[in-house]
This record gives sequence, structure tokens and C-alpha cells, in this order.
Amino acid sequence: MSYLEYNVKYVPSGFRKLFYVNWQIVLLLLAIAGVGFLMLYSVAGGSMRPWVEPQMQRFAVGMVLMFIVAFIPIWFWRNVSLLGYLLAFGLLIYVELFGAVGMGAQRWIDLGFMRLQPSELMKVTLVMLLAAYYDWLPANKVSHPLWVAFAVFLVLVPTALVLRQPDLGTAILLLSGGGAIIYFAGVHWAYFATVIAAGIGAIFAVFQSRGTSWQLLQDYQFRRIDTFLNPANDPLGAGYHITQAKIALGSGGWTGRGYMQGTQSRLNFLPEKHTDFIFTTLAEEFGFVGGIALLGLYALVTLFCIVAGLQAKDRFSALICLGIGVTFFLYFFVNMAMVMGLAPVVGVPLPLVSYGGSAMLVLLAAFGLVQSAHIHRPR
Amino acid sequence: MIRTPLRPLARIIKARQTGANPDAIEAENKRERHAQMADRARRRAEGRLLVLGVCFLLAYGVIGIRMGTIAASVPEEPRTADVGNPIISQRADILDRDGRILATNFETHSLYAQPPQMVDPRAAADGLAAIFPEMDAEELFADFTGGRKFLWLRRQISPEQMQAVFDIGDPGLLFGPREMRLYPNGRVAAHVLGGAGYGREGVNSAEVIGVAGVERAFDDYLRDPANDGAPLQLSLDLTVQAAVERVLEGGMSLLNARAASAVLMDVHTGEVISMASLPDFDPNSRPRPLLEGDPADSPIFNRAVQGVYELGSVFKIFTVAQAIENGLVSADTIIDTTTPMRWGPHRISDYRNYGPELSVTDVVVKSSNTGTARIALQIGADAQQDFLARLGLMEPTRIELAEAPTGRPLVQKNWSDIVTMTTSYGHGLSSSPLHLAAAYATIVNGGTRVEPTILRRNSAQIGPRIISPETSAIAREMLRQVVVRGTATFAEVEGYAVGGKTGTADKPKPTGGYYEDRNLNTFAAVFPADQPRYVLITTLDSPVDTAGEEPRRTAGWTAVPVAGEIIRRVAPLLGLRPQIAQPALTGVSLTAN
Repeated sequence: MSYLEYNVKYVPSGFRKLFYVNWQIVLLLLAIAGVGFLMLYSVAGGSMRPWVEPQMQRFAVGMVLMFIVAFIPIWFWRNVSLLGYLLAFGLLIYVELFGAVGMGAQRWIDLGFMRLQPSELMKVTLVMLLAAYYDWLPANKVSHPLWVAFAVFLVLVPTALVLRQPDLGTAILLLSGGGAIIYFAGVHWAYFATVIAAGIGAIFAVFQSRGTSWQLLQDYQFRRIDTFLNPANDPLGAGYHITQAKIALGSGGWTGRGYMQGTQSRLNFLPEKHTDFIFTTLAEEFGFVGGIALLGLYALVTLFCIVAGLQAKDRFSALICLGIGVTFFLYFFVNMAMVMGLAPVVGVPLPLVSYGGSAMLVLLAAFGLVQSAHIHRPR
Repeated sequence: MIRTPLRPLARIIKARQTGANPDAIEAENKRERHAQMADRARRRAEGRLLVLGVCFLLAYGVIGIRMGTIAASVPEEPRTADVGNPIISQRADILDRDGRILATNFETHSLYAQPPQMVDPRAAADGLAAIFPEMDAEELFADFTGGRKFLWLRRQISPEQMQAVFDIGDPGLLFGPREMRLYPNGRVAAHVLGGAGYGREGVNSAEVIGVAGVERAFDDYLRDPANDGAPLQLSLDLTVQAAVERVLEGGMSLLNARAASAVLMDVHTGEVISMASLPDFDPNSRPRPLLEGDPADSPIFNRAVQGVYELGSVFKIFTVAQAIENGLVSADTIIDTTTPMRWGPHRISDYRNYGPELSVTDVVVKSSNTGTARIALQIGADAQQDFLARLGLMEPTRIELAEAPTGRPLVQKNWSDIVTMTTSYGHGLSSSPLHLAAAYATIVNGGTRVEPTILRRNSAQIGPRIISPETSAIAREMLRQVVVRGTATFAEVEGYAVGGKTGTADKPKPTGGYYEDRNLNTFAAVFPADQPRYVLITTLDSPVDTAGEEPRRTAGWTAVPVAGEIIRRVAPLLGLRPQIAQPALTGVSLTAN
């Protein structure tokens, strides 16, 4: 049921849209990105280079992108969502072929000023397409097996491609993000019960397949799982990340060692200290208090996304707000769980804080969609 | 579900009567239905959102609690990291049977460079070249300025070198902690220990892996963190090992031998107390394997385990023991020893003519090939093969060394009667000194099979019975007689009742046939002969005794005195008390005595 069937009272237009932007989310994003700049500055040993400057530039570009996306009416985005999905899908296949031909495991396309990871783009376009799909689908057909199967197909195909790269972290995000939208759309709960049961079976199968010729994960992925289950087995090898991260977190204590005083992360004990494991630096320098504060910022962003979803008048807007909120939540949840040894190391950045272009731009564009839904909500 | 009609007939009729438009009623009902559907969908979505919200809250809670517990935990490693030694001993120590250290670990540093962080590549390159003579300043400078981000300079450096590099003061020269395997006793027990090298290498640590010997055989055990650093205890006795190597080395140089080996084994437990192979090497800097030529020419070749040789007359005791066990002969049965003995185109002769006949004991004591060959003919080919196989002489030993599987005996494929005869006096079947030690232990310990082991064990092995205790006692007395009045009189060590058997085997040429002047001399000793505790196998490769008027190459003049000296030195170390007055033998009567 589209909003076109509602009695439209008023939709802001022109520069009036500025008044209707969800400024709370913008401020929260600024705050989180600010934390990121601080941490990158500290990790670089008190220097703007090599990480803070490019990160700031990309954040600025991302903010502009967010406002552009936000000012374009949400119905436009609904109409182009299939196109966006197909574009991201095509790029994924392109990287797959290109990577296979020449450059080893290449996951990105060089755009000159930045490297675009199609898998990051996919995270948003998948959410968009599913939201548009359930917007288009009459409510009484939502739980019909055929229509459910089609939605699942839309999720699984890119997931399989990403898994082939192999990028387990993105695959998990795609799968759970898509699943969340299907869940919100009102698909009968029996499907989810089946999937959860099948998932447990699949985990069993993955472990059974180990060592056979048809094993379902790469050896390094199995090792990461082993290490996750028992990091002490291999404290200098694959368990190194987790052990060192835990040490960094532990040495931070409640209030931390103070800004720029962290030793664990700055003395090169931690690999990936500026990307996936940047949270350890924060926890070491600002302690439990700093970690909880960042967690609070993230929680607020998620909360505002959910509120925007509840306020939305049409299904597409509601689903896209919720979907992006969930994707954002999954990002930092998986990352923090990984850093704190609650989940295997799968390679998911801390959103807006970790150094990296694609994830930041795509996330900001996604928040542009949330803003667009918020602005163009009929009042 | 009950659906209310969009055009309820009652209202439509009423509307028509009043002249109102019935379509307006339908439109109104449609709107209502849509509103209801929307409300239902919203309620359901809100219910689901609530579920998800609970999940989110749980997730936040888990992360927050986890963060709290980690923050509250006391970090331990950073303190050691502050002093620059984050690596603790990873690989377990190896100890001898009394707990003395044979292999341990040593903390050292590696040196690497990160050229992007270098302040002055020129000065760094020159400084390094001055400290390490093998480095070239120009090459280093090219490496430092060639756009590389990382390069290894040295895997291990001494503290003095580290200080000198530190004094260069370039931030692009960095040190990583490194664990190094150290063998504090140098060459002692080199072949048993083997050696260790580096596997995967990182800046902060490197994997130490065993490359040979027990280090390789127990690599998984030594590296397993689950063992919590529990050391590996070997059966070797460091003191005895050192004495054996010392004497063997002296004997080898005195007799101009090319190589030598010795195995000292406990006859009841199968524990190898000492194992030496010369020439040897320092496991702290293990030589590389030879890329061409005979691998046996390399010092890393373990003759005692890998070297399979035709060991000669030492095999005669196996033939005689089997004949007695099978009831074919007794110790004083008279055997035809006319020489030479013809068998088809082949001719078997003795080293010297011992007369037309000898008792079985004297066949062993004087080492008569023809007598042994005739006994073997009575035994038969199949029974002989079976007996030798049960002694373990047909397959590699199962000693816990990486090299053990390569010590595979060479067995004739076509076991004809002539092979039976030559094998009876030790030609035609090649085996290693360790095989021989285990077989002798089996013969003299009362007749039960012994498997050699390098690990300390606390109780005797009770293997399958090969010969009866009576036959074993007769065999021991024969071996004793060899030393008392036979070919091995130089091995007499007063008070230790040494018994044994010599073997002088011609060395085969690589091209076929045998060398005239190269022998492999073996002495298999048992002591004390009346209550045997140990066997000692001593082999010398191509020794020559030039003390007399003419060069003497037989075992009695070479391997035997060396073995005697070893026993004289190690018997007290082994805790054996000398029996100056020999106890009378009981239960055995020997006409030859």
C-alpha cells in the first residue's frame, strides 16, 4: 500500500526541506565520526597522516552525498531500487571475474579518488530492493511460499557471491539485514523457525565437512573459528588478534590510560589497529566509560532510525528506515563482539570509526535514505 | 475471516430510495477496510519491532557486560611487554633420564628494517656493514631505498650486536623477540636430539620446529601448549653418553677408522642409555643435508639407526640359539668344520682352519663360518627367516626418532640355501646397529622380545617369548666364553664378566663385490654376562690397527678393545658393582669349559 493512496496533506519542498531534516541523526553521526578522527589521530601517533586527513575528506564527501540523497524524494528511490540492486549485482560479478583473472582476491574497483567495494553497495541496495518489493507486494501475499522464496532468492544470490570472494563478514551482514526486512514485512513466523533450525543444521554440516574434499569454508575460516572457541591454543598465530585486543581492553580498565597514552595499540602489537580493531584503541585509552559512551551513541542512532521507521506513513519508508537501522546495528554489534572475543574474527569494520572509504560513504548515503523518508513524510 | 461486504444490500437499497449515490458507500467502506488492514499490519509490525527491540537490548547488554568484565580484569601480558619480552618459552625442554637438560630455549632477538621509517639509509647501511661482516653496505643501501616496506636483516643477533645496532640510532632498524633452541651440551647426543629450525616467521615471534631426531619425532608434543611446558624425558644418560662418545672418538682416531657408532641398551627395558654416531655435528648449527653423493658421508647421518650393514659373525649367536631352542643341537654337539665348504658354485671358508670338527660352543668361540653354515642347513630357510623376523631384524625399528623408518633392513628377495648359510654368519642380511642391540637384548635377557625406545620407562618390557630362559642362559655362557678364551679377549674388564661376539664383515663396494681392505668391525657386548643388564654394540668403519708388525683389521683387534674401554668407563657410571670373585655357574654344564 503506497503512500499515494493516502490523503497527502503536506510534503516539504525546496530549501524548506532543511527544516525537516532529522538533525538528531546528523549530530549523532558527526559525533561518532569525530570519535573516529580522534582515534585515528591517536593510532597514527598524534599525526593527521596517514589516516585522519583522508578519513575527514571522505566524511565530508559522505555528508554531502547524504544531503543530496536526502533531498531527492523517497518515491524516486523506491522506483530506482531495482536498478540500484542490479547495478550493485553487476559490479559484484565484475569484481568476481576481474579478481579471478588478474589480481588475486580483489574486492574493490578503483574509482580514482577512492576504492569502491561493491559488497558495501550491496548492503544498502539489498535493503532498498526488499523494502520496495514488500511495498509493491499486496499484504495478503506476503506469507505465500512463492513470494517468500523470491525474497529469499534476492538475498541469497548476492550473499553467495560475497561468500565466494571470500568475505564472511559482509555475507553475514547481508544475510541478517535481508532477513530482518523480511521479518518486518510480516512473513509468517514459521518460516523463521524453519530457517533457524536449518541454520543450526548447517553449522553442524560445516563442522562435519571439515577436512573432506567438499569442505564448506576455507581453512583460514575454520582456523578463525577454532581460535575463537579457544584463543589460548594459538596465542601467537591466529589467536593473536583476539588475545592482544583483550589485553588492550583489559589494560584500559574503567577510565582508560588517557588519550594518546595507549601502548598496546600504538606500539604495533595490534594488526588492523586502524581498521577493524580500532575499538581496542578506544577502550584502552578511554576505558569502559569511553566504550559505553560510543555504544550509547550507536544505540541512539539505531533508536532514531526505528523511530523514523515508526513515523513513516508508507511501507517503503518504514521498511527502509528499519532495514538501515538494523544493518547499522549489525555492523557495530558484529565488530564489537569480534573485538571482545564474543564472535569469531570475520572482518567487519566499526561503522564511521574504522578507517575505510566504501563503508563510510555507503553508510552515509544510506542515512540519506532515512533522511529522505523522514523529510518526504506527508504531514 | 468474516468480510463485511463493500456494498451491503440494506444500505444500498436505502440509499437508492433516498436518491443518494451508492458508489459513495462503497468508497467509504473501501477506505475503512484499508484503514483496518493498515492498522493490522502496523500492529503486527510493532509487535515484531518489540521482539527485535528486545533482541537489540539483549545485544547491548551482552556487549556492555562483556566490556565491563574485560575492563575489570587484570591485564597480565602488557607488563612483560613493557620489558620487551612478550614471548615466553614455547617449546618444551628435553631432559636426560636424570633430569639434566639436553635441549632448552633461549631468548634472543631478530633484526629487521622498515625503510619508510628510516632517517638516514646511508648511515644505517654503513653502520650495519661495519657490525656484520657478511653484509654489504651497497646492497643494504639499495634495499633501503628501493621502495621496500620491510626486510629481514638477521634472524638472530647477540646482545652485543643488538646494542651496536641500537647505537646506530636509526628508527627504521627494529628488533623482534625471538626464541632460539639451545643445546647446552653441544655435540653430545647430537644425532638423538637432531636439531630445530624456524618455521613460519613473524616480527614478534617465530615458530621453532624440530627438523630431525627426537625434536622432529616429538615435534607436536613439544609444541603442544596443552602440555604446559612439561619436559620430554629421554632414556639417555648424559654422563654415560659423554663418556661413550669420548672413548669412541679416541678409538676411531687411534685406529684410523672412517666412522664409528655405539649403542648402549638396557636389556630388560629396551631403553637406549647411549647412542653415538661419529663423525657428529653440533645441533646448535646443524649442517645442511648433502645434495649429492652418499647421504651416509654426511655427519648428520645417524649410523646407529640409519646405517644398515652386513654385520658379520655377530649373527652366529642367533643361528646357534635357534638350533638349541629347536633341539637340533646342544652346546656340546660336535659339528663338522672342514674348510673350505663347497655348495654348488659357492665356497665358504673360515678365517683360519680350526680343524675338522668343533663343539657348538667352540663354533661360536672361534667364530667358524663353516660350522655355523652347517647348523643353519639343519634349521632350514623358512625357520631361519621366521626366527630373524621375530627378533625384529626384518623391519625398521620403532624407536622414536624421525630417522627410524629409513633404517630398513635389506633382505634378500630369493632366500635360497646359500643365502641361509651366509645369513647364518651375518652376510646377506643388512641391519642397523640398533637392530643388533635389540636382538642381542632379546637373546640374553631370558628370551623375551625387546623393542628399543629412546624414552625413559620405569618397568621392564614383557614382550613375546622368543627363546626359553635355558637357551638364553646357554647363549650367555657362550658369549662369555668368547671373551674368556675366544676372539674377544681384549674386552675382558675385570669384575664385570663381559660376554660378546665379534663380527668382521667385508664392506661391499658400490659397484658390486667386496673390498679387500675395508671392513665393518662390530663387537656386540653383554655385561655382566651372568646377570645381564646392558648390551653394547660398537662398530668401527674400516679401522686398521698399525701397532703390530702388520696391519690388523679384524674386530678382535679394533672394535673389541674400544668396547672394552667403553665398558671400563661406563660400568661404574651405570652403578654396576664389580664382582671380583665370579660366582660359579649353576644349572649349565659345558664340556668345552
